[in-house]
Parts: sequence; C-alpha cells; structure tokens
Amino acid sequence: MKNLAKTISWGAGALALIIALTFALPGAKPRGFDTGGFGNLPILEGGRVKPLDSLARNSLLVIHSRQGFRHDGRMVGPDEWILDVLFRPQVADQQPIFVIDDPDVISLIGAKQTKNRNYFSFADLAPHLDEIQKQASSAQPIVAQKRSRFQSAIINLFDRVYLFYKLRNTLQLAGSPGLGWELQSLGTADATLRHTDLTQLAHFRILPPQAGMGPDAWQSIGQALTAADTGGPLHPGLIPLAKLNAAYVGNDPAAFNLALSDMNAVVSNLKPGALSHATNETVFNRAQPFFVGLSIYLVAFIVLCISWIWKPEILRPTAYSLLCSGAIVHTLGLAARIILQGRPPVTNLYSSAVFVGWAAVILGLIVERMYRKGFGTAVAAMAGFASLLVAQNLGTEGDTMEMMRAVLDSNFWLATHVVTITIGYSGTFLAGAIAIAYGIRKHIVTKVDVETDKALVDMAYGIICFALFFSFVGTVLGGIWADQSWGRFWGWDPKENGALLIVLWNAIILHARMAGYVRDRGIMVRAIFGNIITACSWFGVNMLGVGLHSYGFMDQAFWALTGFIASQVVLMGICYAPARFWLPRPGSHA
Amino acid sequence: MIKTYALRTWTFLKSLRLTIVLLSLLMALVVLCTLAQVEMGTAGAVNAYMRSFIVWRQFAALPFPIPIFPGAALVGLFLTINLAGRTLELQRTWAKAGLWLVHVGLVVLFAGEFVAGMMQVDTNLSIEVGQTVNYVQSYKNTELAVIDVTDPTWDEVYSVPDTALAKGGAIAIQGTPITLNVKRYFANAELSNLPPGAPPSLATAGVGTGVAVVERPLVSADNEMNQASVFVEPVASGHSYGVWLASVAMGAPQAFTHEGRTYTLAMRLRRQYLPYAFTLKQFRHDVYPGTDIPKNFSSLVQVVNPSRSESREVLIYMNQPLRYEGKTFYQASFGKNDTLSILSVVENPGWLLPYVSCVLVALGLLVHFAIVLRRSLKRRQGQKGA
Repeated sequence: MKNLAKTISWGAGALALIIALTFALPGAKPRGFDTGGFGNLPILEGGRVKPLDSLARNSLLVIHSRQGFRHDGRMVGPDEWILDVLFRPQVADQQPIFVIDDPDVISLIGAKQTKNRNYFSFADLAPHLDEIQKQASSAQPIVAQKRSRFQSAIINLFDRVYLFYKLRNTLQLAGSPGLGWELQSLGTADATLRHTDLTQLAHFRILPPQAGMGPDAWQSIGQALTAADTGGPLHPGLIPLAKLNAAYVGNDPAAFNLALSDMNAVVSNLKPGALSHATNETVFNRAQPFFVGLSIYLVAFIVLCISWIWKPEILRPTAYSLLCSGAIVHTLGLAARIILQGRPPVTNLYSSAVFVGWAAVILGLIVERMYRKGFGTAVAAMAGFASLLVAQNLGTEGDTMEMMRAVLDSNFWLATHVVTITIGYSGTFLAGAIAIAYGIRKHIVTKVDVETDKALVDMAYGIICFALFFSFVGTVLGGIWADQSWGRFWGWDPKENGALLIVLWNAIILHARMAGYVRDRGIMVRAIFGNIITACSWFGVNMLGVGLHSYGFMDQAFWALTGFIASQVVLMGICYAPARFWLPRPGSHA
Repeated sequence: MIKTYALRTWTFLKSLRLTIVLLSLLMALVVLCTLAQVEMGTAGAVNAYMRSFIVWRQFAALPFPIPIFPGAALVGLFLTINLAGRTLELQRTWAKAGLWLVHVGLVVLFAGEFVAGMMQVDTNLSIEVGQTVNYVQSYKNTELAVIDVTDPTWDEVYSVPDTALAKGGAIAIQGTPITLNVKRYFANAELSNLPPGAPPSLATAGVGTGVAVVERPLVSADNEMNQASVFVEPVASGHSYGVWLASVAMGAPQAFTHEGRTYTLAMRLRRQYLPYAFTLKQFRHDVYPGTDIPKNFSSLVQVVNPSRSESREVLIYMNQPLRYEGKTFYQASFGKNDTLSILSVVENPGWLLPYVSCVLVALGLLVHFAIVLRRSLKRRQGQKGA
C-alpha cells in the first residue's frame, strides 16, 4: 500500500514534467512552410536582439490578447501570423484579430456590439482609420489618469492599429509586388521615395550588422535599400529575404525552406551566436514555463483539496509531488529568463510577480518538509498559481524582457535590493495565505485539533520573522541604492513608503505577540492584513502615478486590487469569527 | 510623589504598548503622506506629515488651522526615547544578543537620518565639455560677489552671503578698502524697465538707474527661484561710488574702479570654491540601439588637485558617484544638446551610518531568528522524544 502510494505520487509528478516537456517541442509546419524556422531569425527591436517569434507573440498579445487565434477552422500560431503580416498583408488584413470591448469605440466604427467578444480585422477598420486617428490624437494630450473610458479605449485601439500598420510595412510596402521587385528597381526616383517610407515605418531591423560596422548597426530593409540606391553594396541578407518573400507569396514551401537556410547562413556569418541565442529564446517562448507551471500548481491544489476528504494517504503525496514538478518547471523558466536576459530575476513588474510566486512556492515546500500536514503544499500551490496568474495578466503589455533605463541598469542592485525586497513580499503573502487556511479550516473541521492549529501559527510566525528580515534589509538596501544614484538615502517616495509599511506592519505583529497583546487568532488576522499592505505596496503605488518608482498607470489593475482588498477583509472577518459562530446556540429558539 | 510620577512616565515611555501605538501612528502617517503626494507634491507632503511635529489642517469653516494628527517628527522623537528605553531594558544575555544588535542598528539608522536632516548640504556643479570649474553652486541661496578683476589672469573673489545682505547696514569687505552700505535688500523681486514718469530708481549708478524693482513674496516650489536683488553703495577711502542695483535676474556684472583697481558687482547663486578643479573631457548620453530608451549617462572628468599634487581622470556615471574630499558627485542631469553635464553634489558627514545600520540590523535579525529557530526545533524534538 505504501509502495503503491509512492509509485502513484511520483508517477503523477513525472507525468506532469513530461507533459511540460512536450510544449517545448517544435510545432507542425503549416502547409509545409517552416514557419518556426522563420520565427528563429534574430531581429533588433526595442533595443535588444530577439527572435522574430518573440516579436510575433508580443505583438499578437498586444493586438489580440492571445498568442494565437482560430481562423478558417484552424489555429494560426504567431509565426504563421507574422509571415502573413510581413509578406501577404492581403491575407492578414482579413483575419479578425483586433479585440474591441468598448461600446463607444464599436459604434464609432459603425459596427453593432455582439454578446461575445468583438473581433475585427484590419480590413474592417481600414475605412475608419482617419476617424480613429483623429479621435486618438485629440485624446493623446490628456494625462493617462484623467482620460475617459472612451479616450483610453480609442488610444489603445490606435496604438494597436499603428503597430499592425508598421509591421505590414517593415519588410515590404503593403500592396507592392514585394522585395524582389524593389531590388530590381533600385536607384529610380520612385524607389528612393518608397525606401524612405520603408525606413520610417519599419518596426524592427532584420539585417545583421555587416563586417566593419558597430555591433549594434542592425539595418532595416528600408535602410539597406536606401544605401543600395546610392550605389552602396547590397546587404547579403536582402536576396534570401526576397526569395523567402517570393516563395511564401507563390505558395512554394520547398523554395521557402531553401531560402530560409540561405538566410540562416548569412546571419550566422555576419553575427555568429545571434541565431543560436534567438533559437534558445524561441524554445523558451514555446515552452511557456509559467503558463505550464500555473496549470500544474492548480492541479496540485485541487488534488490536495480532494485528499482532505478522500484517500489522503495517496493523494497528499501526489499533490506534493505535483507541486515539486510545478516548482521545477517554474525554476527552469526563471533560470532561462535570467540566462537569456543576462540579468537578475526581477527587472520589471511582470518578473516580480513570477519571482514572488517562485519564492513563495520554495518557502512552502520547506514548510511542508518541516510540518508534513499538507498545509505547506496547499498554500504554496495557491500562492504559485495566484502569482503566476497575475504575471500572465501583467505580461500582455509587450516584451517582458524590455531594456532597463539608465538608473536601473545595475545588475548589482537588481540582484540585491530588488531580490531581497521581493522575497519579503513572498514571505508576507505566504504568512497571509497560511492565516487564510487557518481561518477557513477553523470553520470546516469538526474536531478540535490543537496541535495542527499550533503548527499553523508557528508556521505563520516563522514566516513573518523571515519576511521582516528580508523586507527590512531590502528597504535599507534600496535606500543605499538611492544614496548611490541620487544622493539621498530616504525621500518618502511612494514605493519607499510601501516597503516601509510592510516592515512596520511585520514589526507591529512581532512586538504585539511578544507583549502578549495578541494570541494565535490575533496574529493570523494581522497576517491576512499583511496581504493587503503588501498588495498595495506592490501595485497600489504604481497607480498613484507619482514619484520616481511608478512604472505606469494601470486602471484595470485598480479594480483587481480593490477586489483583492475586499476579499482579504472578508477573510479577516472569517478568521476573526469564533469557530461555528453560525450554529444555533443551545437553548436559543432558532 | 514626584519620583513615582517620573517612574510612571518612564515606565510608560519605555512600554511595548507605546511602541505598538507609535508604530501604528507612523504607519498611518506614511499612508497619509503617500496619498497626499498626489495633491501636494512630494516635498509638500513630506514637510506637512514627516518633517513636522503636528499635522495642521485648514478647514474652510474655520479661520485658523487646527491640529489633526501628531507629525512624524513627534512620533519619531517618542519612538527614539521608547527605543532607547527598550534597549536598556533588554537583558544583557547572549540569548538577547540579536535583539541588542537590531535595536542599536535602528538607533544608528535614526541618527543617520537626523545627521542628514541637520547637516546635509546639497549643491551642484554644471560644467560644459572642455570647461574647467572649481566651485559648486547652491540651488537656492545667493550671494553678492565683489570681484577684483584688475589682473586679467586672476580674479580675486570677495562675497557677501544673502543672509548678511538681509541684515543690512555697512559691510566691510575684508582684504579690500571697500565698505558696502546696503540700501535695500529684496529676498525676491521682479525687475522691469522703469516706465517714463515713474519715481526714480534708488540706484544712482550702473544699469540699475533705469530699472524698477517690485518686491515679491518668497517662492519655495522646486521649479521656481527667488530673484534676490539688492541696492548697495560701495564706499572706499571716504568716497562713495554711487548706489548700484545687483540682482540674480540681471546678466552681466557691473564694474567700478577705485585707486587703479577694478571691481565688479554681481548677485549670483552662492558659490563654494574648491581647492581642486574639474575639467569635463567627455559627456556621453547612450541610448539602446533603435530606441530613445536611455542606457547610460556619464561624465569623464579630469580632477586636478594641486594641494595633493594629483591629476587624474574619473568617470562619473549612473549609480557610480565620485566620493572626493567629503563631497559626493552624482551624474544628475544634462543639457545644451549633450554638451553640458550637471553633477549634483552632496556633503553629508553621516552618509556611512545607514550602511552600518543595515549591517547591524541584518546581523541582529539573523542571530535572533536563528536562536528562536533553534529553541523551537529543540522543543519539537523534545515533544517527539516524549
């Protein structure tokens, strides 16, 4: 029986890892075209070299909110989509990928709102482009916080349409016969004008720097054609790209795949290493470790919940083993990001969510090893799931590996201050999660189990100590960083204040416990309040939109945060209420 | 009787209950200050909530502001007393060693903030590519500079700070035969051309004779500057050189000659001359390729210090300030099409204290939690054994 439980539990964990692995495998070749190979091509965009696949995914996320879509009865992936946008705009223009939710914007473009999400193609929007641009440019000067819902929505739509417009005019001018024709008509007056347009509209640079030029001197098609117009040498990448263009338009997969290997040879020759780095990033994109990890955490949590009512001797170790698999995938994803970006784990809000979840899961695993009551697994799986869900939602705004602005460009401080303070967030959240488990359990479990209650309080107390340590050290390190870069240790900036609040709150809990003013229940209720403080300090200060640390106003996030705070207040009430307070008291006439 | 009251007060001041109340008050203040920044700006909110003993609030119905909350300065004061009391109270045993370290570290941290608040001097150094600068400049304070420019290769600078001008009277310039009679001083003023038919200017010499000066209330916002202006009469060897107007709002300095020596008068931001000089050799403003995202700002300066017979190149860039002779030089800003670099200069004798505090508190927390963890593990082992 014991062996069976062991086999089943580790089998489940291994199965989860195998499923995770299948995500990393290359997908099918639509119509025989090696679209995946095309997605591996390195480009320069947003200040860094990345595979075209990353750009395709992020652009599709921005435009469509997803990395793929169904069209004509089959799934279109990001690499196939970008090929159509770049080379066959007449096809891409018909695909309904623009999501519009705002009813006023929908009526502006003369469409009727339907019950489902409203999807429009570029061709649908084309007749209204002037109006969209006019409305957007009149809303643009208003500061983001003061825009109405319509104004925000129209600016958002305009940005997405403009991104699409630029993409379809990056490798060739949309509607022109293509790159081969451009190469034949070099030097004519018309061509020069077109190449200037191409240079201005280009969204990315696909031609690697030629020998003798600086390492960052990537060129867009427009730049390379303009150079050739004035009699300069032809960039060696232009010909294979023209062949790729012709083969894709002419529906000739064999020629396409051949031209792709020519292009790969040119890239490897001009910029050794760029292709393999881009390929690694594509594998990471495909594997989607954080999405897979999130799914495994959810399964682990469900299995654990079932274990409380059915076959605990098998299901509890199974949940633990699933949690371990999720943590492995999560860790590999985090490590891959660190290697690909060459930076410490936390560089922006998105990666902070990924890291907070990771640290909470690792802490939870340790707690579970120490106490073996299933609670460590439960809160770790829940915390991992919730934070990766937050990360997924934060990651829809574009490249999550964006470049760091000058003052943030310091791996030393990113590795020390940012990591410690983020671990402090994880600890506070985990203590809060344990407190929630304690509060709910108290009302569900029928028999009084002092030992388990005591264990939960001990866990929460230990983790609060841990969180206080990391948030204090992280806060002071932040002050020292500020002293290094701005010449002041402390400036009462909102982000600094948020960090200080976490430190103060954890210190209050510990002092109140030491003085004996709060007992078990009091500590737990306060630990849940720690969730509110941490969430406000993490996201709330970004919504204030003041100070050196604010990285963007997020109005949807505001409602999510409000909802979270409300839920925590309810949970504090549940935790504070005496066990079974809803039962009729003996002697009453209910 | 008095003794019992003192004892009771002391017991109250060092009580844990007070610690918790004070920490809660501080939390509330931090939240209020953060929210108030949206309306009042960072500096305004910090002055109202953090650097005040009492938070005042003006209600429309009342003619005077009323106190609504203790300010952070007051809370901080009590917290320091409380902290000191608690620290003295701690048992001097190894089991409490961690807590000792933590609380001593916190005292150091508070001390550091106090030193910074009282003694930190902020100035700046603007320097163009190729230029050599041997002074730092105040952001707000001004001075009246009297410069002996007789020798074309050497300027002898005598200066009178704005605080001395505000007191008025006769000010003898040490090292020269000149005495300045301050006729009138304006901490902030607006200058305009004297309209025809208006009462004549106080000035009897220089461009000031054609200028009307109107006093203005003081400004304190970050992006505004007080236009300090003064009417002075230089007197030397019993001879008056007329009344001159000098103002921050005016450009070129004005000159008069006494016994073959030429002196210029100019009101300017207060300068502190350094025994060393900086020459800006190169300023870089790098962006990531294909974007406007700034990647790096850096100034390559030649530091020349004759007193140390030192001449070396230093690269000052983001997160990498130059600490030199008690001052710290940070890359702060730039201008004039990337040919002007502005370094902010901070002189804070207590800059090291937060570093010391960080180490002490981190060490203390580690030691304390290790002791607690060990005790808890021991107890669990004891339970298992039983």
